Formats: sequence, C-alpha cells, structure tokens
Amino acid sequence: MTYFPDEVVEHIFDFLSSHRDRNNVSTVCKAWYLVEQLSRLRVFVGNCYAVRPERVMARFPGMKCLTVKGKPHFADFNLVPHDWGGDALPWIETAARCCPGLEELRLKRMVVSDESLELLARAFPNFKSLVLISCEGFSTDGLAEIATHCRGLRELDLQENEVEDHGRQWLSCFPDSCTSLVSLNFACLKGEVNTSALERLVARCQNLRCLKLNRAISIESLIKILARAPNLVELGTGSFTADHRTEAYQNLLNAFYKCNSIRNLSGFWDAAPRYLQAIYSICSSLTVLNLSYAPAIQVNDLIKMIRHCFKLQKLWVLDSIGDKGLAAVACACKELQELRVFPSDVYGTGIAAVTEEGLVAISSGCPKLNSLLYFCHQMTNAALITVAKNCPHFTRFRLCILDPVKPDPISNEPLDEGFGAIVKSCKDLKRLSLSGLLTDKVFLYIGMYASRLEMLSIAFAGESDKGMVYVLNGCKNLKKLEIRDSPFGDAALLENVGKYETMRSLWMSSCDVTQGGCKALAAKMPRLNVEVINEREESDEMVENPSDMHRVEKMYVYRTLTGPRDDAPDFVWTF
Amino acid sequence: MELELGLSLPSSDMMMEKRIKTNFCKKRSFDEVLDEKTVTLPLFLQREEDGHGNSDSELNYGGGRVIVGWPPVKLPRRRTNCVKVNMEGIAIGRKVDLSLHDSYQALFRTLYMMFPKKHEDLTYAHVRRTEEEDGGCDYKVTYEDEDGDWMLVGDVPWEAFIMSAKRLRIIN
Repeated sequence: MTYFPDEVVEHIFDFLSSHRDRNNVSTVCKAWYLVEQLSRLRVFVGNCYAVRPERVMARFPGMKCLTVKGKPHFADFNLVPHDWGGDALPWIETAARCCPGLEELRLKRMVVSDESLELLARAFPNFKSLVLISCEGFSTDGLAEIATHCRGLRELDLQENEVEDHGRQWLSCFPDSCTSLVSLNFACLKGEVNTSALERLVARCQNLRCLKLNRAISIESLIKILARAPNLVELGTGSFTADHRTEAYQNLLNAFYKCNSIRNLSGFWDAAPRYLQAIYSICSSLTVLNLSYAPAIQVNDLIKMIRHCFKLQKLWVLDSIGDKGLAAVACACKELQELRVFPSDVYGTGIAAVTEEGLVAISSGCPKLNSLLYFCHQMTNAALITVAKNCPHFTRFRLCILDPVKPDPISNEPLDEGFGAIVKSCKDLKRLSLSGLLTDKVFLYIGMYASRLEMLSIAFAGESDKGMVYVLNGCKNLKKLEIRDSPFGDAALLENVGKYETMRSLWMSSCDVTQGGCKALAAKMPRLNVEVINEREESDEMVENPSDMHRVEKMYVYRTLTGPRDDAPDFVWTF
Repeated sequence: MELELGLSLPSSDMMMEKRIKTNFCKKRSFDEVLDEKTVTLPLFLQREEDGHGNSDSELNYGGGRVIVGWPPVKLPRRRTNCVKVNMEGIAIGRKVDLSLHDSYQALFRTLYMMFPKKHEDLTYAHVRRTEEEDGGCDYKVTYEDEDGDWMLVGDVPWEAFIMSAKRLRIIN
C-alpha cells in the first residue's frame, strides 16, 4: 500500500465513513497518518475537554464538518450544575481562525452564547448546517444573527435546547434572497414566531424537506404552510389544535392529501382527536412517528391511527398508550425497529400505564426491533427472558422501572436473570440502561457477555464493589460508564485504573467513592482529569479539616490530552 | 423505634443523610434504614439553591420519595402541570401551568398578572419594585399539597413544590 501514490490512498480512505476506522488507519504508519489527516473532512470530538480546539484544527486543516459534545449525559437529568462548563465559544473562535471553510457544526450538551452564534454567522462564508442538541445559553437574538448572515444556509436544526425568547422577529431575518433551506427545526422554541414571515420563507425555499414547527403554530398556520410546501418529507405539526369556531378540519384534510412525501411526523402538542383523523391518509407511508409530546391523544384514537402505520420503523409514544395500545402496535407495525415509551405521569401518582406485558407483545410482533427505551411501572424476569429470545438484535436497550429498586413483582426476586438474558442473547448490544432491584450478579453477566457494550447506565443497583469491577474487567469495548446511587467505592474505582484511558468517561454520583480515592486515582493516572463537583455548603468543621474519608457527591473522570481544564468553576475540583 | 420529624439543620444530619442513602442502596425497605431507638429526621435537607430555583438535594418528604433527576427524562418532557388558582373574594378562578415556571419568582409574576390588585395600577415594573422593597409578595399564596394540607408557598425547594402542589389559593 505504501507504494501507491497519496491520491490513491486518499481515495481508498474516502470509503471509510466512520471516525473509528479513520482513526485506526491513521495509526498504521506515518505516510497513512499524513494522508488521512489532510483528507479528513468530518471531525468528531466526543468530549470537548479531551483535546484543545487548536490541536484538532492543526491536525485536520481540511475540516468541513465538526461535531463536539460537552456535558456528561446525566446533565440531562439535572445532575450537573448549571455552570459546570462546556462552552462552545473556544471551538467557534478557533475554527474561525484556522478553518474558515467550515460548513457544518453539530454541538451537543454545550453552552452556546448569542456571541458565539454571532461569530459563527459572520466567520464562515460557506456555512451550511447548524445542529444544536440539548444546548443552552442562547436566545432568539442569536438565531436572528444566523438567519441574517448565513447566506446559503441549508439546515438549522434545534433539538431540545433551552432557548430564551427575545421576540418573534428572528424568523423574519432570513433575507428574501434566502432560498436554500432544506431543513428547519424550531420545535423547542417556546415563543411565538412571525407566521407570515414563516409562510413566505417556506414558499421560497423550494428544496425544503424537513420542517418542525413549535407549539405556538396553530392549525390554521399549518394549513397555509403545507399548501406552500407539499414536498415535505419530515413534518413537526405544531400544536395541532384550533379555535373550534373555525372549520379547519376539511382544509387540513385537503392539505395533507396533497402531501405525498411525508414520512416522518412529530409535534401534536395539543392534538384534538378529530384533527388526528386528517392524517390517516399519510399514515401508511410513515416510517417515523413521534407522539411523545402529545398527552391529549387518547389510547383509542392512537390505536385507530396506528392500524394504518404498517411501514413504521420508529415510534415514540407516551405510556398512556398502555399494554393494549402496544399490542395494537405489535399487530400493525411489523417493520418496527425503534420504540420509545416515555412516562406521561412524571409526578408518579402510580397509575399503571405500561407493564411487562406490553413489552412482551412488542417483542413477539416486531422481530426487527433493535432499539428500545421503555419507562414502565414493573418488569419481570420471565418477560425479559422472553424478550431476549424474541429480539436478539438489540443494539440499544434502556429499561427504566419508575420505582428504582422494584423487584420482579411475581417472584419478588431481583432482575439479574432478566437482564442477564438480554446481554447473553443480544450479542451486538452497544448501549444498556438498567433499573429495578439488581444485585452484583447482573454485573457478572454484563462483564461476561456484553463484549460489544459501549455505554452502560446504572442507577440504584448492585451490592458491593465487585459489581463495578466485573464491568470494568469484562466489557472490553466500554466507552462510557455512568453510575448513580450505587454502593461502589474506592476499591472498585482503583481496581483497574488503566481501563479509564480506554474509555471516554466515567461518572459516579451518590456512590461510596471518597475524596482519598479520587486523589489516588488522579495520582496514578496523570492523563485523566478526575473532577469532583462540590456543591454542598460544608459545615465549618468539614472545611477546616477536609478529610480524604469524606464521600464525594459527584465525580467525573475522563481521559484528556490537555490536563486540568482552565475554565472549571470554583465548585469543580480537579485532583 | 420512634421517628420524630423536626426542622433540624442540614449540617448536623449530613451523616444521617449519607446513611439513608447507603441503606437505601443496600436494603430496600425504608423501615430497615433506622435501627436506633429515637431518631430525628430532618424534615427536609436543603442546600443552596441556584438562581433557577433548583436545589440539588435528596428529600424525604412525608411518605413519598422525591429523588433528584428521577425518572431520567429531559426537562422538556416533564409534563404540563396545571393547577387551579383562586383568590379570596374572587368568584372566578384561573389555571396556571407550574411546569412553565422555573422558580417562585417566576410563579409570583404570573400570579400578579392574573390577579392584579384592584386599587393599584399594576405594571411589571411595579411588581419588581414591590418584590425588592417588601422582599416578597403583597399577598399570601398558599397551596394544597398531596396530603390535603394547606401550606405557605415558598418554604420548600421549588422542585418539591411543583410535585406536590395540587391547588393554589391567594389570601389577601
């Protein structure tokens, strides 16, 4: 291979799409390293603190697309303090200096200020696509900058961000000359937008294929928008309710009738049953349906709709669908690959919504199922064993029993055997989340069988350090481990310290790890950042005599090339 | 075994909280947590709230459990949480969605807008000044919790409040 000219090697590398493959080939020899670094267009940084932006951009000067992730996953559930970090500005500033040809930026769980967005909008003349997922720190003013200055913008995709509402005018900032939009998602915005500006924008962007509206958009607006965009493939419907004085139903029916290309539907925030019938005509072409923000949809209406959705591959619903609704899904949706069932009753008044029966029905009716997120009130070992047998192709299996330490209600035993069956049967399992009553045994199974596992989430599980050690010693592909409220302490933490350099990160909160344990880990492994988050107001005694015996409330460990970060707030200590 | 519920200071019960957590992990029954004869459990353990009205504490609240960050769903999915609001002397009540507010301050602002005081011209600026000068609201807001008891709004951490509040009542 080294006798081939560089262009040939580069062309061969073009066929490698995954970052891991490209990372691997670059370690073969110096020649390959050089060819690869100059030809890499898409760069993925899984932890913004693992490497400095300057270093990334020096290595990959041809970078066109950058993905950066910030806060640990548990930040989604309020476990990471607000000012912990993850600022996007250094990345955008450095890219502005070093890679002005940047076309796409994807950020997840990062803090993005309006200032950052303004810089982004002005610094990259070829900028085409901005995707922000679970970010915060910006307002509609920042969006106005993007709309105003990004000529040729194709994609603005805002997924589940916290965006401050500074008014409805940002959408009007897209100039009349902007006709390039292919994808626009502002579903997470809480405020109103200028609907006439939106309608005009949609009308002039003939290539628009994905449009996800926010809750403030009424059915009347939706109808006008659909009339101007009959070629949409993905649609987020907005509130899907109307002033019942208007007879919007017939207009809606007509509008959807003309939209032959819709394959992906979401939204429906306030959907009234009679409006739901208007979409029956497109149900049979749908591959993705997200009803998880629609608590107003009753299960019988849901079942009527689902019966039409025989091509469905991805379904997200609320647990109000019940076991009965899931049985209907199992009958109708034979192509189903991904199912997510979210809790509708987060405040836990205990009305049983879905149980193990619903999951078993799905597993027997939908043999192609490979990705599951399931919030339920109870689960049995027998059910999990059946599911494991029916669906051996799971790559993602996340089960959340709402009472965190609930045993199998029939046998009163822990759920070790059930999860054990899952990891044994599903040889391609990459992501697993556990819940229910679990002993160390489940971790023995995971360590033994889950050889392809990359991400494991543990809460309120295990009995002793042995549990965590089974996982660290067994799962050779483990990249991310996050643990809360489990009895794992210093002995487990320090058992296999070299493991952490093979992983992206380890999170432990409300466990038994002590300050002394964290210090010992940091001392042994200089290429890890061992961060401890201390939010408590310590009593005077504790401050005067900080003891290595004190338990650490939250610890985040990650491999890094940069050493301790310089933007850590005062409640984060790096040992 | 006797339990006394008292408003004890957090710091003195730091170790108790840790024991509760340890035992919660190891033993699954709440009854087994305490093996001492008489124990004073803090009614709640409160840490410093950040500006958003979120406090990062584990609470043992009446008989139920409030666990931070559980179930593991993102903030936008926490469901709308509408409660009725009545003001003393006003026949018609309103409804307020608690999930759209992230702090007591935000809630009070909404309530002021919904129930402006009759004899005053209530603008937002006036509301702000009132809050700063009086250090609180002009009128008392109470709520009915899950046990049917009426409590003063503002005493417990925001997250616990929105989970237990069933109705609000404003008293002049």
